[in-house]
Amino acid sequence: MALLEIDDIHVFYDKIEALKGVSIAVDEKQIVTLVGANGAGKTTTLRAISGILHPRAGEIRLGGESLADLPPHEIAGMGVVQVPEGRRIFARLTVDENLQMGAFSRNDRRAIAEDKERMLALFPRLKERLKQVAGTLSGGEQQMVATARALMARPRILLMDEPSMGLSPVMVEHVFETIRAINQQGVTILLVEQNALMALGIADFGYVMESGRIVLTGRGQDLLEDENVQRAYLG
Amino acid sequence: MMAGAAARRVAGSRRAPPSPLQRAAVTGLVFGILGLYLAIVGILAMIHGRAIIVGVLTLGQATLVAIGLGTGAMIVRGDGEHGAWSWSTLLRSLFAGAIAGGVLALLVVAMDALDLRAIFIALSPALFEMLTFDLGLAGGVLVLIGGSAALAALGALLTLGPRAFRRHVLIGCIAVIFFGVFQELIQIMMQYGDIIGAVRETIYTWEGLTPEGAILIFVIATAISLLAARLRGGERSDAETPPAQRRNARIAKAAVAVLLLVLFPLLAGSYIGQVMMLVGLYILMGMGLNLEVGLAGLLDLGFVAFFAVGAYTTALLTADSPHALAAFTAIPSLSYWEAMPIAVLVSVIVGVLFGIPVLGVRGDYLAVATMGLGEIVRVIVQSDAAAPLLAGAQGILQIPKPWLGNIELSDPVDLFYLTLACAAVAAYCAWRLENSRLGRAWMAVRDDEDVAQALGINLVKVKLLAYGLGAAFAGLAGSIFAVMLTSIYPSSFQLLVSINVLALIIVGGMAACPA
Repeated sequence: MALLEIDDIHVFYDKIEALKGVSIAVDEKQIVTLVGANGAGKTTTLRAISGILHPRAGEIRLGGESLADLPPHEIAGMGVVQVPEGRRIFARLTVDENLQMGAFSRNDRRAIAEDKERMLALFPRLKERLKQVAGTLSGGEQQMVATARALMARPRILLMDEPSMGLSPVMVEHVFETIRAINQQGVTILLVEQNALMALGIADFGYVMESGRIVLTGRGQDLLEDENVQRAYLG
Repeated sequence: MMAGAAARRVAGSRRAPPSPLQRAAVTGLVFGILGLYLAIVGILAMIHGRAIIVGVLTLGQATLVAIGLGTGAMIVRGDGEHGAWSWSTLLRSLFAGAIAGGVLALLVVAMDALDLRAIFIALSPALFEMLTFDLGLAGGVLVLIGGSAALAALGALLTLGPRAFRRHVLIGCIAVIFFGVFQELIQIMMQYGDIIGAVRETIYTWEGLTPEGAILIFVIATAISLLAARLRGGERSDAETPPAQRRNARIAKAAVAVLLLVLFPLLAGSYIGQVMMLVGLYILMGMGLNLEVGLAGLLDLGFVAFFAVGAYTTALLTADSPHALAAFTAIPSLSYWEAMPIAVLVSVIVGVLFGIPVLGVRGDYLAVATMGLGEIVRVIVQSDAAAPLLAGAQGILQIPKPWLGNIELSDPVDLFYLTLACAAVAAYCAWRLENSRLGRAWMAVRDDEDVAQALGINLVKVKLLAYGLGAAFAGLAGSIFAVMLTSIYPSSFQLLVSINVLALIIVGGMAACPA
């Protein structure tokens, strides 16, 4: 059974149906990516998973348990953690405080300290900037903070929304390397990206979305080579 | 006419690189015109009526002196950083001073010859007397020009003199002027107490400082300034001392500040006690609102409602009036100490009730919504509908003062200590909160609600906590406010109070507790 199962969900913004029956399955320790153009419903899917939006029909299950009517903070408490679009770090808190906020729903002080050390090993750059106010960091560094903050929660599944957005090509490379590294440490990742080429390149499994529906599924590599995908997204 | 001449002169000096002498002339003119301006708009004559040292110096004369000294100082400044002492500097200052004085002298002559008052109403005979120093036209002109030149030379000398010396003298002079200008206020403060009263009588008459007082203040201020400089110099040298020692120094400084805070109202009497008491109340409310606005980012303009709730709860529970609960229910009339925690508790409850409807509202809308709620509370209290219970616009009277053992805390100074103690406790709580998990959660919510929620923060809980705890502080302040006035009216709880508190924390620095 998959860790995260999204089963035919329909999500509405008032009367507009944004998701018209989306089903996604994410297996343990996989990287699954959701690609598609602007407005295809990728972010909406993530918002439904994290409980900010509630699907009108269909079900979302984590390890077999339904997340349907839980408030966002309880879903987060269950280990579904987001790296939000546009990073959205706490700009007026220090890097250190941002990391601490990531571990907000945990109580094991010693393990939190250990995790912080691991994050600083993963992102050595943050070590130098620990006491710096996060809003003053560069875009790439902010992405690191956002990712580290999410990992501090020891997620069962990490939802990443457009992690490459607004970054320089060098940083984009770095971000995808980091995603792969995190995954190799055993973290399950659902990655939403517009940069289909890069995303499918590292993904075990991919879903292609178009106006609220999944139009294609397949292994990452296969999708990369798929004619339709190439024409539509890779040019 | 004269201003035109000056402008031409300035323009002329701009064309060719100005010789030192030209520059001196221009400087003198500028200061002279400054004096002229002050005279024509009437400031000079007006502040001449204000004595700094009785029978010796008025504020107007002090201004003239300052103009003279300033001329000389400017001459030296104009010579650049390494302006060294030379006879030429002195001569130029004399020259510039004479010109500055000359401009005023021209005014005097013109006033004598023409009827300038028809145009400039401020050029009164009183001004004439002041500018001629009661010496008649010729004597006045001579004194103006000569004195101004001498003062300019003095100013130049002072500026050239050792820097440390100059600063201390300047501080001494400023202290004298300060005590002179604010004499009414300071005298009122010093009216109470025997020793202070005696001190007041030596340094003040009711019109201004006595000459002895002025000298005394000058000496004391200069000495303090010297001492402070010595201390500061010492501190600078031990900048490399271990941080522990420096922390000790900081603690010592804080202790001195607290000691001053504790002793000051005792020395200064009831009037200042009352003022400081109000300051204390605002500090309390400021800390409360800081939790909401500064930490949790919930802009709340209805804060005064919690203040009102605290005040009314205290009033209803303790007052000796037909509106008190004791008058028509079985609840006994409580002492202040019993009523205060209840007032705080009720405020918290109201705070949470307040928070619920505006949970989903953000930003500017939140400010408007809370403002509305705050006004609702006031209007309800004022309305006829609630009048049987809350006494409407008449307010609740005869709230007893708190008793501590057998002592009635009736004097503003006593109540000030109550406020101070509460503020200290509250500050400690606020400080602990700021560095706690909850504090961090608030800050996260402030920076980004959605993400905070996505990280497992229960928005409803932390927001309501912010309202509740913020309200507790205001309730405490309100409770003290009630016993301070011993009577409360709905009109005391205007929107303006909320805005004042908000201004307080904005000026003090958001989220900064010490502020």
